[in-house]
Amino acid sequence: MRHILIIATLLGATGALAETPRDFLARFEKEAGASASVARGASFFTARQGGEWSCASCHTERPTQPGRHAKTDKAIQPLAPAANGERFTNVAKVDKWFRRNCNDTLNRLCSAQEKADVMAWLLSLK
Amino acid sequence: MDTHNIRLRVWDLPTRLFHWLLVASFITAFVTSESEKLRDIHVVAGYTLAGLLVFRLVWGFVGSGYSRFAQFLPTPQKLVDYLKSLMEGRPQHYVGHNPAGAVAIFLLLGCGLVASLSGWATYEDLGGHFMEELHEGAANGMMAIVVIHVAGVVVSSWLHQENLVLAMITGWKKAKGTKFQ
Repeated sequence: MRHILIIATLLGATGALAETPRDFLARFEKEAGASASVARGASFFTARQGGEWSCASCHTERPTQPGRHAKTDKAIQPLAPAANGERFTNVAKVDKWFRRNCNDTLNRLCSAQEKADVMAWLLSLK
Repeated sequence: MDTHNIRLRVWDLPTRLFHWLLVASFITAFVTSESEKLRDIHVVAGYTLAGLLVFRLVWGFVGSGYSRFAQFLPTPQKLVDYLKSLMEGRPQHYVGHNPAGAVAIFLLLGCGLVASLSGWATYEDLGGHFMEELHEGAANGMMAIVVIHVAGVVVSSWLHQENLVLAMITGWKKAKGTKFQ
């Protein structure tokens, strides 16, 4: 009986780690203290922000499609959750790639508002 | 006891070149790991590191004296004796790798091979998220061993009053009161 309880607790803990894309939108909006804008997300994603690359340089302007790495030319799976169920389901992975990719495109980290806007736009794509 | 300086050729040229090229390729790979813009440099550094490790594995069998694995293969007994001597403040002196250093070297070679293979797999989109995590874990493991290694070199250089960094550059060590093994 004790084992079953332990296993159930562990499964519960693992379940709690899995996130949905909407959870990230909610989290970034909460961190920003403001609601997200789909339109702002779209222009942020597709336009260069002072750096050499925009998000779209690798993920394309239509991230329901596969992208292509701007440096290595390797295929990149679609970023929009509607086209790829694996995206935005793991906190560590999401935080890691926002950190890396924001530094590559903006030469700084993204603000919570910028991440919320991008999330809202990605979620609006069908 | 006669403690006049006897100069000993410890590290052969291939071992020294391997060591410093490994330092360079590991640092290059580590500092370029976070950027997609520098991804091609990271990959070249990784292939270089893998090639160096393969060379070292071969050199461990066919190289000269102190570079051979058989010369510094750490047995549990040797390791315990060495660590005891450290704690008693009378560290045993080895001309080549001491047993603790030898453990670090084998761990470094192992982590380096895992990091190279998992890095290649990640780059080729094989193995998914698991490979990515393995790659980062192995690379961070290498960095942890490197930090311990450098600390060990500093402490050991001080305890034995010999410049180990210089020895890895020139290949020569001064032997005094040395246990030849």
